[in-house]
Amino acid sequence: MKTILLRLEPIIWLLFGQGILIGTMLLTGWILVVGILIPMGMVDAEALSYARAHSLATASLFGFVPLGKLILAALLVLPLWKGAHHVRSLLIDFGGGERDGIVGTLLYLIAIVGSVMAIMAVVGL
Amino acid sequence: MAGPAHPHAMAPPTPGRTRAAPPQTPSTWWGSKRIMTYLLFDATGIVYFLVAFVAIRLIRDLGDGPLAWARAMESLQHPIYIAFHVLCLIAVIFVAVRFFRLFPKAQPPTIGPAKPPPAAVIHAMLYVIWIGITAVMTAILAGVIF
Repeated sequence: MKTILLRLEPIIWLLFGQGILIGTMLLTGWILVVGILIPMGMVDAEALSYARAHSLATASLFGFVPLGKLILAALLVLPLWKGAHHVRSLLIDFGGGERDGIVGTLLYLIAIVGSVMAIMAVVGL
Repeated sequence: MAGPAHPHAMAPPTPGRTRAAPPQTPSTWWGSKRIMTYLLFDATGIVYFLVAFVAIRLIRDLGDGPLAWARAMESLQHPIYIAFHVLCLIAVIFVAVRFFRLFPKAQPPTIGPAKPPPAAVIHAMLYVIWIGITAVMTAILAGVIF
């Protein structure tokens, strides 16, 4: 398993790096509004009424670039890979590297399952 | 006069295992600010994992129709969800500040024939892009624009 992880390292690092960079940039505004300001009543909930949320999520650029869905997909998928890689690193720090093959594989499998769920959710809008 | 020294004259006939100890977290990690910051940076991975799955659930509910969406948005008003999202915001800001500080140091000395801009410029660019994207997303999601 460790050999497979080493072979996939460039792909994993690409997704992990984009998870930190793009994931962080997109998550900040999302968490602020969706997770804090609207639930606390500081922003009118109508700002994300079903109709408006759906039209934002399915908005397109020039009529054919599905911009809303692309941004949502990045926002949902990339943080999973940042999470998986950093949790793996944390577990190596505390549990040593002996079980890294199985632990790393398990964490990346969760990220893969989450990514598929996210893409299906975005495509289904 | 003696001949030139052979660099491998004293080496054992077969290469042995390195005697270097495997890297491990020191038992005093909780007392070291540098190690704690490093571990906290890793631990934000747990928060990213959770917030991504919460967001996936929200988008699935959006796809399920107005009733599911209304229920999902209402559930976010629970104090535990709000506290979780405050923790997420702190984690995201911590990751951004730490990563943006590391990013210029990770640049290669040259990119093809060109040199990367000075570290201060890269640092400033990252902050401008991050604050800009956050401001635009906040304004869109809060209904200020569009």
